[in-house]
Amino acid sequence: MSFVKRDLPLIILSACGLMLLLNFFVPTDIGNVVKAELTTWTVIIGCIGTFLGIYYMTISQWRLLQQTKTTIQYFYFATIFGFMFLWLAVGLYFPGGVTSPQYLWLQNNLYRNQSGMVYGVMFFTLSSSAYRTFTIRSIESFALLVGGVIYMLRQIPIFPAIWPGLLPLGEWILLVPNVGGGRGAVICAALAALVVGIRTLSGREATMMEVQ
Amino acid sequence: MYEEEKKDDIWEKLGNFDVRWMFLGCIVLIFVPMIWPLGLPTIVSQPTKDYYNALVDLPPGSILAVSFGGGFGALDEREAQFIATFKTIFSTDLKMVIYCQVSEGPAVLEYIIGEGTGLADPLKYGKVYGEDYVRLGYAPLGEVGETAITTNIRSMFSTDYYGTPLDNIPMMENINGADDIDLLWADYGACTTIEWYIRQWVVPEQMPLIITTLGCCAPMAAPYYPGQLIGFLSGSGMGTELEITSGNPGPGARTSDIKNLAILPFLLYLLLGNISSFGKKYMR
Repeated sequence: MSFVKRDLPLIILSACGLMLLLNFFVPTDIGNVVKAELTTWTVIIGCIGTFLGIYYMTISQWRLLQQTKTTIQYFYFATIFGFMFLWLAVGLYFPGGVTSPQYLWLQNNLYRNQSGMVYGVMFFTLSSSAYRTFTIRSIESFALLVGGVIYMLRQIPIFPAIWPGLLPLGEWILLVPNVGGGRGAVICAALAALVVGIRTLSGREATMMEVQ
Repeated sequence: MYEEEKKDDIWEKLGNFDVRWMFLGCIVLIFVPMIWPLGLPTIVSQPTKDYYNALVDLPPGSILAVSFGGGFGALDEREAQFIATFKTIFSTDLKMVIYCQVSEGPAVLEYIIGEGTGLADPLKYGKVYGEDYVRLGYAPLGEVGETAITTNIRSMFSTDYYGTPLDNIPMMENINGADDIDLLWADYGACTTIEWYIRQWVVPEQMPLIITTLGCCAPMAAPYYPGQLIGFLSGSGMGTELEITSGNPGPGARTSDIKNLAILPFLLYLLLGNISSFGKKYMR
């Protein structure tokens, strides 16, 4: 891999990362200015990346369509991109853009309903996975069942109304055993992130460079 | 012969209970409280009390930043939280800057706090746009967007949601980053998003934080409470608690009633499954 493709991005990334890290531990006025400038550029790069993503996705879908010219494939392509460009066109064309009544009408009458429906359908899959999770097969799954069900019942007012002790018990499960396990998981994840960060800054993280 | 006997025994039958009956039961029971509300008492938990106190204890004129992640999909779970929180804020003398970290957020906000049409209408509380609150619209890029806002709001938003330059808005004159903000209310629907705020607001900026989220996300928020996180609401149940604490009755009680009954067939199904599993293992 060439200097331009591998080493130069790595040097830029490491320099930016080290400057931000330095400013985190030793804040200075100039460091804050650098941080603000770098963050602004991150936003710019991110926005360009979003447009590039849409462009590449469109090209990729179009190529896929050329390979499998079936009716259903045309239907999927036309539906997805039809709606995408409808939103784009309405957002750009009407005065006020995304604040225009036309755009809000689309959001409230089309997007909102399908979004709620998708969430509603999840009930069926979630109850199935909850059932499998809460079936006792071992001492660990029994502990999960007890903790999960008590917290679930605590969230639903009818059960604390029947047995008021459920509320403090549910709170205790949430704020004591769960916090103990949760903090352990957070510390582990943070240490792992630290290792990935150091590997990235030193150019040893392969996932960062394999962009060919 | 033995296999046929196994198929007919009670443990096997309990385990093979048709799941569609449970779904039907849930669907039917969703409608019952809509017709006959249960009106059950709600006990207020400590995280809800802390959440409410964090808002009302701020000195008048304090600046509250709102990172809003409410979507339409889970609105039934969140509506009570949103309405009660915004009504609480509008009842105080806080100044509020709102931005959205999901693209549908501005439309949801229009539904909740739209002037003249919203469920928590700012006009009813005498709040003036640009003086008491400002809406900045959608801030893309997730955690990077949050970083940009802590450092320089104008790097993300040169104008507000309605296209007015921020420098022309009186309230925004002295607000440009985390240094100018007194409290952050973060709302999100993806459980791990809590870490964005811990990493970008709480640790580097020492920002007091309160959150609203889905009922299932409370266990991931709890490790940060009551240290980095002052208070939190998760799910419609705690939304109902805030309605009671703040004295702003809303849709939470109805949603809680629906959950009260709709969960019962699932619990029954869970019980039958475990009895079946236990019976097959130990009673044969």
